[in-house]
Order: sequence, then structure tokens, then C-alpha cells
Amino acid sequence: MTSKRSTGVAIAAFAMMFALAACGRGDEADASDGGAASQAPEVDTGAASGEIDVWAMGTEGENLGVLAESFMADNPDITVTVTPVPWDAAHDRIVNAIAGGEVPDVTMVGTTWMGEFAALGGLDPTPSNIDGSEFFEGAWNTTVVDGTSYAVPWYVETRLLYYRTDLAEEGGVTEAPATWDDLKALAEGIQSAGAEYGINLQPGGTGSWQTFMPFFWQAGGEILGEDGAFTLDGEPCVEALTFYDSFFEEGLTAPAAADVPVEGEFANGNVGSFVSGPWMIGIVTDAGADPETWTVAHQPTEEAGTSFVGGANLAVLSDADNKEAGWAFIEYLSQPEVQVTWYDTVSDLPSVQSAWDDEALSGDALLSAFGDQLSDAKAPPSIATWEEVAAEIDTVIEQVTVGDMAPEEGCTAMQETASSIGTE
Amino acid sequence: MQSNARAVGAGRTASTAGRSPRRDALVAWSFALPFLLLFLVFMAGPILVALITSFTDLRVTDIRNPLSVDFVGIENYAAVLGDERFQKAAANTSAYVLVGVPLAIALGLGAALLLNQGIVKFRTFFRVGFYLPVVTSIVAISVVWRILLGTETGLVNAILGAFGVDGPGWLSDERFALWSLVAMAVWHSLGSLMVIFLAGLQTISGDLYEAAEVDGANRWQRFRGITFPLLRPTLLFAGVITGIGYVQFFEEVYVMTQGGPLNSTVSLAYYAYDQFSFGNYAYTAAIAFVLFIAIAVLTAIQFRLLRPAT
Repeated sequence: MTSKRSTGVAIAAFAMMFALAACGRGDEADASDGGAASQAPEVDTGAASGEIDVWAMGTEGENLGVLAESFMADNPDITVTVTPVPWDAAHDRIVNAIAGGEVPDVTMVGTTWMGEFAALGGLDPTPSNIDGSEFFEGAWNTTVVDGTSYAVPWYVETRLLYYRTDLAEEGGVTEAPATWDDLKALAEGIQSAGAEYGINLQPGGTGSWQTFMPFFWQAGGEILGEDGAFTLDGEPCVEALTFYDSFFEEGLTAPAAADVPVEGEFANGNVGSFVSGPWMIGIVTDAGADPETWTVAHQPTEEAGTSFVGGANLAVLSDADNKEAGWAFIEYLSQPEVQVTWYDTVSDLPSVQSAWDDEALSGDALLSAFGDQLSDAKAPPSIATWEEVAAEIDTVIEQVTVGDMAPEEGCTAMQETASSIGTE
Repeated sequence: MQSNARAVGAGRTASTAGRSPRRDALVAWSFALPFLLLFLVFMAGPILVALITSFTDLRVTDIRNPLSVDFVGIENYAAVLGDERFQKAAANTSAYVLVGVPLAIALGLGAALLLNQGIVKFRTFFRVGFYLPVVTSIVAISVVWRILLGTETGLVNAILGAFGVDGPGWLSDERFALWSLVAMAVWHSLGSLMVIFLAGLQTISGDLYEAAEVDGANRWQRFRGITFPLLRPTLLFAGVITGIGYVQFFEEVYVMTQGGPLNSTVSLAYYAYDQFSFGNYAYTAAIAFVLFIAIAVLTAIQFRLLRPAT
């Protein structure tokens, strides 16, 4: 009995393997020839009607209903249903939806997920009614995978240097740092003025690449070369990693991740500066920092003054039932006035450049500093394996800053691991 | 056991006289069918698919056409075994198992012995106290311990500070993080082991101890000569259950350290989870089967070491 059954199982397994082997991978289609992002033909969004289901994460998911209401008032033929999805579950839920073909019409997509979802074949190419040049270039590039745009930037964020002007002045620094040397001098000055640490840089850990990569770009580095292969081990990487590590070597930043939030330390003067995004304006203010004592500054410039651009995109799914209405909704959300309304609702920074002319944004000195930086901000390449490569970069940063790995070794390790992971 | 089986056999022959064994088998199978179907569909099937997957190059980008993957033989297994992070995770997991399991068993047995004989007052209080962590969610426990073990804000370092000791980063220093997690896991599993051992101790007849005492055996001799040998089956059970749990060490790492600092707390299960979330499904399946083999080997060793003395 037993032997008969196991023979049966073995036969079934072999039959399955054979069936699988019979279908192997076909020849992969060639990647595009580069150049400007290609887009799908125009979609007649004016005539759209019917129902659409929209997924959005976090605060955006909770508040998108406000914009959906006004969209439906303008377009009575379209009914929008917004489904809030928690950030933690969003990635897997979208992957499962794409795999099963039961998808929403429109979904919010984290910028670093674009490569993966596009490689899955889950996203609809952006129609030509949407003009990519209206958006910040760095943000638009996050929608482009292998030369084709698959989404529209919805909101953006970028990273600036927050620093205590009072401590800096006490330490003899009166101007915002323009170069790497200035940044180092700022940290030293603030520390000499009595701060425990002149700056707060992440010693590795999840997401530390977002603080490190700007230095890499500032040194003239590019994550992918012309031929689409990783170029992480060049001179720019070594320079950037050496510079980053020098803050740890010289005791200018905490040697291990602190368990006290940086905003409190910043407000009471223990930490004199840090690099972060626009959401910290409110958090630092709430932590009790006197607005007179701090400001934000553009990233320092070496070869370039580039920062990191993040945020989220809006995409229509390729299996969606009502793509026309989906694109109509995205078109609506990309209008400058609507982007300003959205800023007023949840403080998300507009991805459309002309929205920044509005008084609400241009009238605020701190915010317009973010607007300036956005025209010189980059995102990592939209490749399917980016999350894995990023985790490897995080690991190497930790090994260099906390461990005793040399920056040269670190860059070689990044390059080797990234190459073995590949780009698709 | 032997005589029991014979008795059942005899009864069966008497009551089923005249029926064919074929019909018997049919009835038996029909009773087993509901379980068997569920098992095949939800356990054996997926396990078989995972096994096949581990020999392919399936990634997240293939899930719309999961059949269009290539077979790569044992490439995934070779890559897993050659991967430095896997080796680190395997070393860490060995530390969790080799230190955590004996420690948990020793402390659980100690607590059971104390509660069985030594402590009379507040017995219920101690039983509840030791068992409480077991009925609490490990995630909640991990969150609380993470706060307790914080470098600057943690209670442990605050107490040490009161004595003038500058406490280390229990979770942020690579020399301490692994052992902090082991300590928490041992504390967490202590209670259930204690209950198992208490039950085991109850089955040992008091007469044996009395006889030994009459013969002049001291406390240690009584433990070595009576308690330990008679507790062997209980120890085996406790060792296997705890061992399997520690080989699959995950939640503690996930909540408290995410594998850091410098990968010093990454466990095999956490590493597999990481790879799965990167979409490397075939690779993850290979890790899972390596983990499965590790559990099987560990359990076999325990059975060999703790089998009843003949």
C-alpha cells in the first residue's frame, strides 16, 4: 500500500515537473532603446463613465475621499470608491491582486515598487494626455521602467539638512553649508558649541540608503551605468562612503541608532543637525524647537547638489475594468489647483511644478527650500530588484560606520552583491 | 501495549465475521477521507509545490505566469549554502538552539522541582507568575522587552545606572544583542516547560523517594537515581518541542532587532522571510527545505540521546 502510494505521488510530481519544464521561459523581449520615456496613445478621458475602485495607503487613503467627492461632482457619470490600505500590507496586497487578476482600477504605488510591478506586467502605460514635463524630473523618472512610463507622480518629498542656526553661529558658522567641507565644519562648529553630536546620520539599518545615496550622487556617482549594469564601486562611492564614515570616525554623530527620537534631541540642542524630509517641519515644531533657532538648507554641492526624491505615484492597472475613468481621475489629481488642495488637506508636497507658484507653498520659506531642492533630486532606478539592492546597501553602510569595514571594501561588496542580485 | 493490540485484534475478528476485509478498508478510508482531503489540498500539495519550486528560478515577477519558469537543478541549494548571510543566520540559529534550549529546559526543570517540593507558600502565585509569559503574545512581550532594554531610555540601564554602571546597548551592540534575545526567549518558554515537568514529576511515585531515603540517598542522589531517569520521556518531549520552536526563531528578531546590529541576530526563519519579501520565491523555498532538514536532524539526535534506557 505504502509503496504503491508513494509511486503515485512520484509519478504525479514528475508529471508536474514535465508540464512545467515544457513551458520554460520564452526569449525575453529586448529592453527599449532608451531616450525619452514612451507613452501609450491618448485615452479619451472626457467620455469616461462608470465605477472605479481606488486603493491608497496611510493618510492619503484616509483622506482621498475628499478629492473623490469633488471629482464626482465634476464628473457625475463616474463613481469613485476609495479603499484605504495600510502601508505594511500594501505591497503584498497589490502583488496578490496583480497575480490573481482581481485588481482595483487605480492604485497608489510607492516609488521604489515601480520596477517590480511593471516587470510583473501589472501596470498600464501612461497615455500621452499626461505631459511628463509638468512634473519634477526626478519624480517623473520614478514612473519610467525600461523607457516606458507606467504611472504619474502624485506627491513628492525630498531630503534637506535641518540645522540649529543658533548653535552654528556660536560655533562660528554663519552660512548654510555649500560644500562637503562646509558641512563637516558645521557639524564640528555645532559640537564645539556644546551639542553632544554635531549631526545625526543613520548608522545603517532600514532606509539608511536614503540618507547615503545623496552623498553618492553629489560625488558624481550613478547607480546604473549606460549599459544598465550596476556602477556602485567607482571612485564616487568610495569618496561618499569615506565622507559619510568620517562623521562616525570623528565622533560627530552617534555611533549606534539612538532609541530617543531625533526631534527632541534637536529641540533641546543635544543634536545639532540631521537630514530628513518635509514632514519633520511639523514634528520638530511640535517637539518644542523655537522657529528662530533652526532652518533647513539645500544639500551640499560637490560635483552636484543632488538629494533623494521619494513620494508616491498613481497607476492604472493593466487588468483594470475601467481604465478610461481611472486615467480621468489621475488627470484630475494632477491639476495644479487640485494638488494645492491636496497640500492643504494632508500636507503632501505637489509633484506638479506649477502648483508651487501658489502662495500657500511659495510664501513659506521652509517649504520653498524643499521646492528648490526638488529640481535637483533623484530617485533610485526603477528596477524590479531595487528593494533587495537597497537592503544590501543598508547592510554595507552599517558595516562601514559601525563595523570596521573599509569604504573601498564596502563599495566592492555593494557592487558584487548588487550584480549578483541583478536588475530584473 | 502488546497485549492490548492482541485484544483489539481478537475483538475485531469476532465482530466482523462474515464481512470482507475490502469492505472494512473502504469504511476506514471513508472515515479518514475528510482529513485526508484537507491534508492533501492544504498541506501535502503546497509542500510538494514548494519542493518543486525550490528547483526552479521562480521570482515575484513570474507570478502572472508561474509555469513559465526554468528548472535550475540544485542551483538554489548551492547558492543558499554558499551565501554568507545564510551562514551567519545558521550560526546565529545554532546559538539560539544550543544555548537557548538547554537553558530553558534546565530552568524549567529547576522551577518545576522547586514548586513540586521546595516552595509551599505562594505556590499558586509562582505557578501563575512563571506561566504568565506563555499566555501572552510574543509580539507584545518583544515590544515591552525592547523598551526595557533600550540603551538610553531602558529600565534595565536605568537600574544599572543607579549603581553607577554604564549599561551597554543590549540590542544595538553586536556583542549583546543575540544573548539579549536568548534571555528573553528562555524567560518566555520557561513557563510551558515548567508545566510539562510538573506533570512529569507528578507521575513519579513518592514510594520510590521514601525507599531511597531509607537507603540513605541524599537529595542529589535521589535526583540522579530516580527523578532524572523517570523523567526521560518528559525531557525528550520537552526537548523536541522546544528545539523545533527555537530552530524557527522569528518573532523576537522581527520585532526587536530586524536582524541587526550587523546581522548578529538574523535567524534562519528571519532570513527566509527577508528573501521572500524580496520576491525570491524559489530561493526562499530552498531555505525552507534546508531548515526542514535541520529540524529533522536535530530531532533525530534528541531521540537518540534521550531514548528510554534499555
